[in-house]
Amino acid sequence: MSGLTIQNVWKEYGDQVVLENISLSIAPRSFVALVGPSGCGKTTFLRMLLGQEVPTRGRIDWDGTALPPEPGPERGVVYQRYSVFPHLTVLQNVMMGPEMRQAPLVGRVFGPARRKLADEARAMLTEVGLSGAEAKYPAQLSGGMQQRLALAQALMMRPRILLLDEPFGALDPGIRAEIHTLMRRLWNELPMTVVMVTHDLREAFTLATRIIAFDRTRNRPEERLRYGATITKDIAIWPPRRAGAQTLYDADIPPSQDDLTAFGLTSGTTRLPDGDIPDDATYPPHG
Amino acid sequence: MPTRRTSLIAALAMLGTLSLNASPAAAQARTDFKVAWSIYVGWMPWGYASDAGIVQKWADKYGLTIEVTQFNDYVESINQYTAGAYDAVTVTNMDALSIPSAGGVDTTAVIVGDFSAGNDAVFVKDGSSLADIKGRDVNLVEFSVSHYLLARALDSVGLSEADVKVINTADPDMVGAFQTADVTAMVTWNPMVSEIAALPGATKVFDSAQIPGEIIDLMVANTQVLADNPDFGKALAGIWYETATLMVSDTPEGAAARAAMGAASGTDQAGFEAQMAATELFDKPGDAVAFTTSPDLAKTMDLVRLFLFDKGLLGAGAMSADAVGIALPGGTILGDANNVKFRFDETFMKLAADGAL
Amino acid sequence: MRWINQRPSKGAQVVLACLPFVLLGLAYLIGSAVRLADNPADKLLPSLQSMGRMIEVMALTPDKRTGDYLLWSDTYASLGRLWAGLGIATALALLLGLVIGVLPVARAVLSPFVAFVSMVPPLALLPILFIVLGLGEVSKIALIVIGVAPILARDLSLAALALPREQIVKAETLSASTWLIAIRVVLPQIMPRLIDSLRLQLGPAFLFLIAAEAISSDSGLGYRIFLVRRYLSMDVIFPYVIWITLLAVVMDLGLRVLRRRLYPWTELEGAR
Repeated sequence: MSGLTIQNVWKEYGDQVVLENISLSIAPRSFVALVGPSGCGKTTFLRMLLGQEVPTRGRIDWDGTALPPEPGPERGVVYQRYSVFPHLTVLQNVMMGPEMRQAPLVGRVFGPARRKLADEARAMLTEVGLSGAEAKYPAQLSGGMQQRLALAQALMMRPRILLLDEPFGALDPGIRAEIHTLMRRLWNELPMTVVMVTHDLREAFTLATRIIAFDRTRNRPEERLRYGATITKDIAIWPPRRAGAQTLYDADIPPSQDDLTAFGLTSGTTRLPDGDIPDDATYPPHG
Repeated sequence: MPTRRTSLIAALAMLGTLSLNASPAAAQARTDFKVAWSIYVGWMPWGYASDAGIVQKWADKYGLTIEVTQFNDYVESINQYTAGAYDAVTVTNMDALSIPSAGGVDTTAVIVGDFSAGNDAVFVKDGSSLADIKGRDVNLVEFSVSHYLLARALDSVGLSEADVKVINTADPDMVGAFQTADVTAMVTWNPMVSEIAALPGATKVFDSAQIPGEIIDLMVANTQVLADNPDFGKALAGIWYETATLMVSDTPEGAAARAAMGAASGTDQAGFEAQMAATELFDKPGDAVAFTTSPDLAKTMDLVRLFLFDKGLLGAGAMSADAVGIALPGGTILGDANNVKFRFDETFMKLAADGAL
Repeated sequence: MRWINQRPSKGAQVVLACLPFVLLGLAYLIGSAVRLADNPADKLLPSLQSMGRMIEVMALTPDKRTGDYLLWSDTYASLGRLWAGLGIATALALLLGLVIGVLPVARAVLSPFVAFVSMVPPLALLPILFIVLGLGEVSKIALIVIGVAPILARDLSLAALALPREQIVKAETLSASTWLIAIRVVLPQIMPRLIDSLRLQLGPAFLFLIAAEAISSDSGLGYRIFLVRRYLSMDVIFPYVIWITLLAVVMDLGLRVLRRRLYPWTELEGAR
């Protein structure tokens, strides 16, 4: 079986059940968005895919073999914060991964190998729109540029799975739209499966091929400890969006505006301010 | 702003007053006196006299209040006296000259209490004679009577300080230090002397019994205070001779006094008596007067001042050993007669000898 | 306007900064003049002239016994001890802090021990050190190491632990081994903290140095102060104290500059 297979996965911290009985298959080259209210375990689920956490029960396979129990270069990650190294320049941040892979003893390469790597890193920086910022430190970059850098750094490793933990949640709307365009292009061009946690449904519909909602099915106070969250909705975007292929959506989206929720609205209407989505519009009612 | 300026002046004035408070004892007749002492066999009587009410008795007799304070740190007690916080202090003849007198505080030796006759000693490890000390590191309290004893010892075998290397070492650490491998020669005083003598490999190669009368333990007082308040000197002499007489007496009371002094100095009666044996105590005022008025004292003080000058301890401005004048009984003056800052005065001891207290 | 909103101008700031120094100097001069008027040979608060004379004697005139310029030979001896002690302490602390901060197993073994040892009052150990290690240089350097290293090590391990978990995981996804995480992620980020902690430990290090030199030595700044204390030579002690303070200030500034040069990213706005 190809792609990610999650079988009967449970996650418990002591007595507290966080996730119960998750089973899921994710096809290669999918772009899956994980949504749900705060504390529903979507980030925990992402961390298990990453290897940062280990399932209490159940297994997670990639192409039929179990994923290693700790993070490794086959899985890249971008967090909302702290994804880049503050003590390295932009170029050094991007070179860091390949350098450490090539030189397991000192973690640095020198001479022609270094020049070759620097060229690759510069190409990647151009790809994400950061050319010219090579010598800056992350603290000198805006939030959006830092996340572009984090993407570039992760993509240098050519991961098969890219995991995103609310990567664009702290960005301004305009910046976020730009980075969405970038994200979709990268997903189209690179042979990777993307799993993204987001609290923003609009973002999920903009980018994903499939949206998976997590929630607690039993939410009475006395049940909170003993019952965890599970998958409550599994929505395939229609018409299907395929990596590397033009879709109806992409063709119709004006280049300057890739926000799908705006797409359906009458032209000239102001978009909803970010983070101001009405509650009832965010998630399906509790089952 | 006028208020700010006045408060600034007030603050400065306050600082000035603070420093004035520590200025040398002002010259006037008064009834309250402060005496500092530190632990040493020849000075234990002061502590005992204070505890046993002898100080109170003599102070009352002259209508005075005398506060006796023990210092754990000898040098600090002298510094406090020099700074003017105390009227009298227990000190050796050498330190009296180098600290208060060289510091311009006119100081008089009221009581010559004893001299060291074995309480200070030179030790070597793995050697048999003083000549073995050549080329070694010598641990001692630099510029103390130990240093003087070393100079005299080296002199006696034709060596000089250039033949050894002096390592300044704090006196509480002497016994521990002697047991470490890198210490091979040491000069120190009692009670460390008796402890080190008992250690394996320690050989006593020279002691103060070989230079009798040169390391003298005194009770000194500020000359001006003494001149304005002769009763203070009389009270000190009265306290000393009553206590010293008790201390050497072969009675149960004497034994009890020795036991108490031994306990106060961290040993017992037997240990204290052993230290007393290495001390030439002047319990009879007549002996002290004879010692103070003998011409030998001038020779001793000459040796001491030459040693101090050689070490630069008579002050930076001292051009020769004569810089600080020393007045001896009978009108003899060593050094600068216009700058006499250290005086030996037999008056109060003589009063005691004559029973006129 | 409220006091909290009153800010001195640039020039006023300089004047205000100098004020305490000037006041202290004035207070000294007044106190000194008062005492010297009373007793021209007073040793407690010597005049500036006599201090100047002693500085000349100590710094510019060879000692008649050894031929050394005492201030410089004392400084040389003391700084040698201080730097040896701080160097060893830093290396040790870096190793311990890194290991404790990076490896959970090492943390379990060493963290309580280091926390315990850092609470031992070093000066109380001094007699033991002198007896076990002798009175030479070793025990003096050891005192500085014992006094400084555990605190540095604790501080560094805390700094290493305070790094966001995300960075460590990120490094793992970039194919870093434990070793590479230690040397390429954790080490460079705790180095600035090391320099800052070292700056704070300069004071204690000098304290330990002077305490050790006071007990047994034949040269050094602390040795000289405690030696001349024997005859209340404040005209030597004051300049030595000022000199030691200056040395510490210069070392502190030097470390600050070093940190800025080596780790420019720590100075940036928004850097963690």
